Amino acid sequence: MRRPRRSELAAAGLVLLLAWLVVYPILIGALDAADGTALRAFLTRRNEWAALWASIWISLASVVLAGAIGIPLAFLFEWFDFPGRKTLGALIALPVVLPPLVGVIAFLFLYGESGFIARALQVALRLEQAPWRLQGPSAILLVHAYSMYVYFYLFTRAGLAKLDVSMLEAAQALGADRRATFRRVIVPLLRPSLVGAAILTFMTSLGSFSAPYIFGGGFRVMTTQIVASKLNGDLPLAMVETVALALVAVIGLVILRRTEGEDILVALGKGIAPRPRPIRRRGIRLLTTGAGWTLAVVLLLPHLTLLLVSLVPYGAWTTEILPPVLNLTNYRRLFSEAERLRPMINSLWMAAASTTVAVVLALAGGYLVVRRRVALRRAIETLLALPWALPGTVFAIALAITFSVSAPLQLRFVLVGTALILPLAYLVRALPLTGRGILASYRQLDPSLEEAAASLGAGRWRTLARVTIPQLRPGLAAGASLAFVAALGDIVASIVLYTYETRPVSIEILSSLRLAETGVAAAFGVVLMLVSAVVLAVGARR
Amino acid sequence: MTGFLRIDGIEKRWSHDVTVGPITLDIARGDILALLGPSGSGKTTILRLLAGFEAGDGGRILVANEDVSGLPPHRRRFGMVFQHYALFPHLDVGENVGFGLQGRGKGDEGRVRQQISEALALVDLAGFERRKVHELSGGQQQRVAVARALAPEPRVLLLDEPLSNLDPALRERTRRELRQVIKRVGITTLFVTHEQDEAFDLGDRIAVINQGRLEQSGAPEELYEKPANLFVATFVGRANVFRGEAARALCGSAPRGAIVVRPERLRFADGGLPGVVRERRYTGPAAFFTVEADTGDRFEVLAEPDAAQVGDRVFVQAARAISL
Repeated sequence: MRRPRRSELAAAGLVLLLAWLVVYPILIGALDAADGTALRAFLTRRNEWAALWASIWISLASVVLAGAIGIPLAFLFEWFDFPGRKTLGALIALPVVLPPLVGVIAFLFLYGESGFIARALQVALRLEQAPWRLQGPSAILLVHAYSMYVYFYLFTRAGLAKLDVSMLEAAQALGADRRATFRRVIVPLLRPSLVGAAILTFMTSLGSFSAPYIFGGGFRVMTTQIVASKLNGDLPLAMVETVALALVAVIGLVILRRTEGEDILVALGKGIAPRPRPIRRRGIRLLTTGAGWTLAVVLLLPHLTLLLVSLVPYGAWTTEILPPVLNLTNYRRLFSEAERLRPMINSLWMAAASTTVAVVLALAGGYLVVRRRVALRRAIETLLALPWALPGTVFAIALAITFSVSAPLQLRFVLVGTALILPLAYLVRALPLTGRGILASYRQLDPSLEEAAASLGAGRWRTLARVTIPQLRPGLAAGASLAFVAALGDIVASIVLYTYETRPVSIEILSSLRLAETGVAAAFGVVLMLVSAVVLAVGARR
Repeated sequence: MTGFLRIDGIEKRWSHDVTVGPITLDIARGDILALLGPSGSGKTTILRLLAGFEAGDGGRILVANEDVSGLPPHRRRFGMVFQHYALFPHLDVGENVGFGLQGRGKGDEGRVRQQISEALALVDLAGFERRKVHELSGGQQQRVAVARALAPEPRVLLLDEPLSNLDPALRERTRRELRQVIKRVGITTLFVTHEQDEAFDLGDRIAVINQGRLEQSGAPEELYEKPANLFVATFVGRANVFRGEAARALCGSAPRGAIVVRPERLRFADGGLPGVVRERRYTGPAAFFTVEADTGDRFEVLAEPDAAQVGDRVFVQAARAISL
C-alpha cells in the first residue's frame, strides 16, 4: 500500500511543476492584460483587427496551397514508379527538417529583390531596377507553401501506404470504376491523414514568425504585431493580442478536430499497400522523371544558394551574376571571432539544457501515466501536449510578463534578462515533442520486460538504465532530436526574451542581415542547417 | 512439516467482489508445484504476489523461515519465466542470461562468462551467447528464458504458463526437458497452467485454484482419485456426474449426494444403468461412447473401439465410483 501513495504524490508534484511552466504564465499574462485600456485599444484599432484577420486567412490559404502541392506529389510517389522515385521521394521531404528561419533567408537570397534570380534577370534584360519585390502576403504564402506542403506530402503518403490493396479490389469487384473507388473508398479512408496534415499546417502558419517578419514589409500578421507591440514597450497590449491569437488557435484546432473522424485505417490494422505501378509509355515516363528531378532541384535551390552566398566575402559581390570570389572567410570569422562564436555556444547549450530537462520530465510523465496509472494521468498528458496547441509567441509573451516580477510567494521570479529565461521558453516548446515520443514508446513497452529485470535482481535505477531507456530509445531519440533542432533554430521566443549576452544564432543572423553581412548570415544558416540535419539523422536511426 | 517455501494466507483484494485468497500452501525444498485453474481463477495473481510484482493485502510469504513479503521484487531472489518470455530484445542471448549476474557486486568477468555458458549448457544451448534473441525459434527462446531465470541461482523458480507459446508437438517434449532441468538444479518451483496434462506431467504436486480460492492440493493421483469436490472432479480429468436414480442403478445402493465416475471406470455389461449409444469418437487405442441413459443423463464411456455401435442398446456398470 505504500508505493501507490508515493507515486500519486509524485504525480501531484509533476502536475504542479508542469502547470507552473505551461499554464501559470498564460494566466498571469491574461490577468495583466485584462486591464481595460489595452483591451479598449485592441478593440478599437483597425490595424489590430486587420492583423488578426491576416493571420487567419494566411493560415487557411497556406493549408489550401500546401495541400494542392503535397497531395498530388504523394499520389505520384506512392502509386507510380519511375527512375529515381526513392531518392526524390526522400529529398522532397527535406524542407520540413530545417529551421524555418534558415529556409526564409535562403529564399531571400534566391528569390528576393537582390537575390540570385532577380539579379540574373536584371543583368540579362538590362533592367534599371530589380524585376520584382518579394514582399507582402504573396511572398509569405510562397514561403509557407514551399515549406509546409511537406506535411500533406508525408501524411498522405503514410495514409496511402496503410491502404489495403484488397479493399480497392473489393470495390472494383463490387462494380465501382476507378473514379468511384477514389471518391467512395480512398478519400474517406484518407480523411484522417488529410485533416491531420491540415491541422499541422494551420497551426504552423498561425504561429509562423520568420516569414512574415522578413517578407511582410508593411503587412502585419498577429505574430509580428505582437512582437512589434512588445518592442514598443506596450506589454499589456501585446498580451491582449497574444490572448486573441491563442483563442484563434484553440478555436481552429477544435473545428478541425471535429472534421477528423476516427482513424479507421489504424483500427483495421495493416494491410498490403498497392504496389507502385511502373509508367509504361515512354514519353510520359520521361516527362515524369524530368519533372520530378526539376522539382527536386527547384526545392533544393534555396539551400544551395545559401551555401553559395556563405562563401562570398563581405562586399565582394556587387553587380555580377555570379560571385567573383569564393572562399571560406565567413566561416573563419564565425569560428575565430569571439563575438560570433558566442551565439553558437549559447544556442547549443540552451538547446541541450532544455532538451535534457524536457526528456527527464517526459520520462517521469510516461512512468507515472503508463506504468503507475496515477489518478492525475489525464492532467499530465494534457499539460505535456498543451504547448503544441498554442503559437510560440503566446508563451514567449506570457513568460516575459510572468518572470519580470519578483514575487516569490506567487512563484514569480525575475528571470527575464538572465540566462535562464530562454532555456525555460525552449523547454515549454519541447515538452509536446519529447512527451509524445516517450509516451507512445512507453505504451508499446511490454511491462514484463521491466518485471523480468526486477526478478533478476535489478533495482529501479538499473532497470531504468539497462532496460527501460534502451527500449524507449527510438521514441526518445526522435522526440529529443526534434526538440533540440527546434530550440536551436528558434526565433519566436528568442526575439522576445534574448539579451545581448544570451543571444542565440537566430538573433545573430537577423543582426548580420541588418548590417548587410549576408555572407556571415548565410554561413550561420549553413551551420544551423548542418547541425540540424546531423542531429535529426542521429535521432531517426533505428 | 514446514516447507521451504511457505505461503501463509496471502490475499489480494482487487475490488469489493473480486478477491484472490487467502491462500495457504507449503512447498517442500526441491518440489515442483503446479497452480492449476481456469483462466481468470487468480493463479497468475498468486504467482505475481510471490514474485513481488503485486502488493498483497494480507498474509506472509516465507522462504526458509525468512519473511520476504516486504521485500521488493529485485531483493527476493525469486527467478521468473514469463509467459511471453520477456527476453530483452536489445541484448543478445549471453547478455540476457548474464543480466542477473552483473551488478551483484561479485562479478569478475571470467566468472560471469563461465556462469553464462553453464546456464546455457544446462538448457542445451551451449555456444548461443552471441545470437540475437529474434533469431531464435520459440522453443529456443523459452529455454533462454529458463537459463536466464536460473543463472543468478535464485531460491525459488516461478513460471507463468511456460509452455503456452509453443506449438503442441513441441510442448510435450519441452515439458519433459523442463522437468529434467528443474530436477537437476533441484530448485523449488511453482508454475501456473490451465492444462491438466501439463500439471500432471510437470508437477510433483498440484494446487487447484478456482475463483481466487484454493480448492484442493495434493499429488496428481490424489486429485484424480479423491477429488475434494465437484469442481476438482470435473476440472481434473474427465468425469461423469450422476445423481438420484441413475446413481442408484450404477452403484446398487443409494448415495447421499452425487457420484463421480471417470469414463474409463465405466464398462458395458449385462446389467446396470440402461441406455442407448448416441455417439462414438474413435481415438485409436480406444473410443469414447456417448450414452444417453433411460433416465435422461448423458455420459461418456471409454472402452475398446469395437465394444459397441451407435444406436446399440447397452447396460453400463461402474468399476469405481467417487461419492461426493
